[in-house]
Parts: sequence; C-alpha cells; structure tokens
Amino acid sequence: MAIEGMVDALRRARRWVRPQGCVIDLHPTAMVPTIDVGGQVIGFVETPDGPARHAAADAAVEDVIRQRLFVRTASSMFDFYTWADSVDELREHIEESWCDAGVVVHAAGRGRARVRERVRAAKLLVAGDLD
Amino acid sequence: MAVFEDPEGHELAALAQLLPSFAGLRVLEIGAGDGRLTRRYAEQAASIVAIDPDADDIAVLRDELPHVDARAIGVADLTLPDASVDVVLFAWSL
Repeated sequence: MAIEGMVDALRRARRWVRPQGCVIDLHPTAMVPTIDVGGQVIGFVETPDGPARHAAADAAVEDVIRQRLFVRTASSMFDFYTWADSVDELREHIEESWCDAGVVVHAAGRGRARVRERVRAAKLLVAGDLD
Repeated sequence: MAVFEDPEGHELAALAQLLPSFAGLRVLEIGAGDGRLTRRYAEQAASIVAIDPDADDIAVLRDELPHVDARAIGVADLTLPDASVDVVLFAWSL
C-alpha cells in the first residue's frame, strides 16, 4: 500500500471509530529483519519494498497527526521473534509466508534460529476527543 | 515444520500497554490474516469485524473463529456505519 492508501485507511478508521474510541497501529519499523542462531546474527531477510513500505507507514501516521485528525497518546517498540528449529526451516517459512522475501545467510549456524523484527505500536485518539 | 511466532509474548504485552482489555469492545481488525492476533482477544471482545484481502487466510480465520465477521476484502472496499466500533486495530497492515 502506498502512503496515500495508508492515509486514506487511517481517515476511514477515524470515521468508523466512535467518539472516545481508539485506533491501535502495529507495524514493523524500516529496520531490516535479522536472523540469528544462539544470539549470533548470521543473516537477514531481504524484501524488495519492505523498508520503504514500513517507512511509508511511519510517514502516514505522522501525516494524520500533523493534519490534526489524530493525537498519539502512547507508543512503544518491541521485538517480534519468529522461531524455527533450524535456519533451513526458518528460510522455508519466510519464503512461503512473507511477500517476495528472501533469506540471506552469511555464516553457518546450527540449532534453533529466529528472525527478529522491530515493531512500532501506537495508540491514536481522534483529535478533539481529549478536549 | 515447527514455527513459533512471538512465543515471548512481546506483541501481546505491547498491545496490553495500549489497550489493557478488549472486554466488551466492538473491534475492527484490518489485516487480520489467518487470525494470529485475533484469536488472542476474540473471547473478550463483544464483536469483531476482521478483514484481509487474502481469501485463504480469511477462510482459516472463519473456520477457527466462526463468531467473527471475517471478510476477504481490503480496507478500501469495507463499508461500516460511522462511529460503529470502539477500536480499529491495524495489525501490521499499514
């Protein structure tokens, strides 16, 4: 979704939510997801448009706040880990279930593997509801 | 293949900080996918509309959570009355 579509989606959400209700947004940051085994980073997930798309999501949220459609009342960041029994299993999962993603591994790793995604969480209220 | 998503519960913890309870709430979840997040709060919410353009994922969600109003559409195609939900949840969908 391009930034215009994201802003439009947030505008629609503003209509659908009741007064004093809220919008919760969870989306990955533009940080490239990394793959590690035993705490050692051995690779990353390559997505053609992932970082740009996630940066656009950040920009869309900032845009609707700047337009005074919403007020952000809380936000946080967290790590979302997906675990598999091996790098190969993780690769298979990612290539099957992520859009156009590829796994790039630059070191050998044995044992359970995980991919780390950095995710932003925010709570938005309709501007004016706090008045 | 055994894959575990967020076994640490970081996502739920972050969500709980923003919204401590879904009890009694009317929720619209945008980008619900196969219901990975939906099933975590589905028993608490008063009602849920869950949308995702992926028809296969929505079929899984509908099978597992038949009480959820699951629709295989994108946000641009959704029609809802104004002010009809308490929470709109963008689940990794912006």
